[in-house]
Amino acid sequence: MNHNLLEVKNLKTYFFTRNGVVQAVDGVNLALRKGENLCLVGESGCGKTATALSILRLIDSPPGKILGGEILFHDEDLLRCPEERLRQIRGREIAMIFQDPQSSLNPVFTVGDQIAEPLKLHLKLNSKEALERARELMEQVGIPQADERMKDYPHQFSGGMKQRVMIAAALSCDPEILIADEPTTALDTTIKAQILDIFHDLKQARNMSILFITHDMGTVAGIADRIVVMYGGKIAEVGTTFDIFDQPAHPYTQGLLTCLPNISAQQQRLTPIPGTIPSLIDPPSGCIFHPRCPKRMPICDQEDPPEVFISDEHRVVCQLYKQPVTSPGKTGDTHSAQ
Amino acid sequence: MTEKKSGQISDRFGGRRNLVFFSGLLALVAVILLDIYLEAQILEPMGYFYIFFALVATCYALYPLYVNRRLTRYYWERTRRHRLSVLGLAFIIFLIAVALIGPLLTPDPTKVNFDKKNTPPVGFTIQQSVFDTKTDQLVSRETPGTWQHPLGTDEKGRDMLAMLVSGARVSLQVGLLATLMAIFIGALMGVMSAYLGGWWDNALMRFTDVMMTFPFFLLLVFIIFIFGPSLAFIILAIGLTGWTGTARLVRSETLSLRTREFVMASKSLGASGARIIFRHLMPNVISSIIVIATLSIPGIILAEAALSFIGLGDPTVTSWGVVLNAGQRSLDTAWWVAVEPGIMLFLTVLAFNFLGDGIRDAFDPRSQQ
Repeated sequence: MNHNLLEVKNLKTYFFTRNGVVQAVDGVNLALRKGENLCLVGESGCGKTATALSILRLIDSPPGKILGGEILFHDEDLLRCPEERLRQIRGREIAMIFQDPQSSLNPVFTVGDQIAEPLKLHLKLNSKEALERARELMEQVGIPQADERMKDYPHQFSGGMKQRVMIAAALSCDPEILIADEPTTALDTTIKAQILDIFHDLKQARNMSILFITHDMGTVAGIADRIVVMYGGKIAEVGTTFDIFDQPAHPYTQGLLTCLPNISAQQQRLTPIPGTIPSLIDPPSGCIFHPRCPKRMPICDQEDPPEVFISDEHRVVCQLYKQPVTSPGKTGDTHSAQ
Repeated sequence: MTEKKSGQISDRFGGRRNLVFFSGLLALVAVILLDIYLEAQILEPMGYFYIFFALVATCYALYPLYVNRRLTRYYWERTRRHRLSVLGLAFIIFLIAVALIGPLLTPDPTKVNFDKKNTPPVGFTIQQSVFDTKTDQLVSRETPGTWQHPLGTDEKGRDMLAMLVSGARVSLQVGLLATLMAIFIGALMGVMSAYLGGWWDNALMRFTDVMMTFPFFLLLVFIIFIFGPSLAFIILAIGLTGWTGTARLVRSETLSLRTREFVMASKSLGASGARIIFRHLMPNVISSIIVIATLSIPGIILAEAALSFIGLGDPTVTSWGVVLNAGQRSLDTAWWVAVEPGIMLFLTVLAFNFLGDGIRDAFDPRSQQ
């Protein structure tokens, strides 16, 4: 079942700021399959959120601009379809959850109204039906006493509960794809675990495709089917969860994993990746990771690194693996980065 | 249980509120067009204003307050803490009652009776020269105040109480209707300017600047010169020029709201630009709008009084400014003619200001005590 529900091809999203052009997303290719949980991982500022926002064309313009590429959803290019059509897709077929539950809800409406809004908008339900459905959704995402609580305002909810409300609103029209932009970053560890459980159940119960964005490798290990590692607006490595955690190929992925505390290893200190993320206004030449890379070679700052397939599901963009490997050409991920 | 039931019913109507409002508006426009076509004068121009005001007030002020009783009670509790604002509110309610039913109980404010001229208010007695028809001579006679004219009469013998009651009606008309108009335009300009941003923001705000620097009184005089001194045009003129402050305030509030994630979130759920402006941004700035509306009413009432005072008001209506103007000419013989409307203006302006302060404190979460 290698059916690609959503394909991002050679996406370029730049921000035109006063200081220069920020190449936030520079030639990203990825594919989301039916019913899978794809995790987009990387440090802050590596273009994860910009990629997610570009998919629904929510980039603030100005200063942002999607300069090129294709985003195919059911063979329809979202970057070229009219605004009207896009509004029908947003919330109905592709829904999104944001990082900060504190500010993602409108403070002057009851949460019931806010969950019901997309239902009225897309499914044309009347208020009564929509509110009834909203109540069911609130129960599904684990909000106790949904009857009473749907009449409350967002400030009467805790952060975790607000995030549940956001999830309920995003799920209301039963979308095919859910994009979750760091939905657990602003939450406590225990609440985070509960929210992750909701995502897990969702995938099981609804066969929903989830694009989960996070910077936390620990979170990723628990929920992802496949992982995309991003660095500096470009993709570094793509693979199944097993590939990435067991045989990380890219030096950056290896670095990320050594930052994780490991229970089995008798290790006293974690090893951070030296240096900081590069400026995306004036990125380093060649491989964008070369200034921080422990396995740097002379060629790294000369040439753009090639995309190499280690296996069908596992590809890496790095000079280390430069060898004649024929690409299988079966999945949508085979598009070259150049 | 009952609360739940009423909640459901109210929700069913909540969605229809806009429908009711716009169908009402459409019907009103139809009647106005019919009026123009038939030249029938079904209602005087002010009548249409009243119906419009009542429509807006019912749909967007009274109805939500009724539906959301919990919130209404909360705001009332907070406003009540401000003693003076409750006093102000009481005075305004009294004034509205007077303006609505007063004219039915008082004599015609335009009825002239020279025999009764310059009668002082009850409890006062003045010496005034009266032309005695028997002796054909001016005699100095003592004139006591009578209960027939509790607030006295002016130099033409018109009843002061009747004139003040009529003036209350005019002042409230001008204050409420012009404010409503100004606030509506201002809020729309502000929210649109902030939400659309870029080129639109620049264009709308520069237009606001131009309107702001334009001498308001000159414009009024100009409009009155062209269209004649009618109360409807005075209200229109004040309403169409008085929105600039609101626009700026609403714009700055919206600018900070716009960056909040809920705007992006509702966009990601498929809301259109218009929906975000009217359903998500407008309700968030409504509390500041109510405060600025309450605080701008007194200024507008004073503007009308000032216009009438300098003789540019509607000559067919008896407003406080007109009475004040008449009174200042006879200040030495009949002080009450000028003092009484002055006191009324003073109290009204004060009442609205107190109420505005109270509402502002109630809506401001930072004033939590």
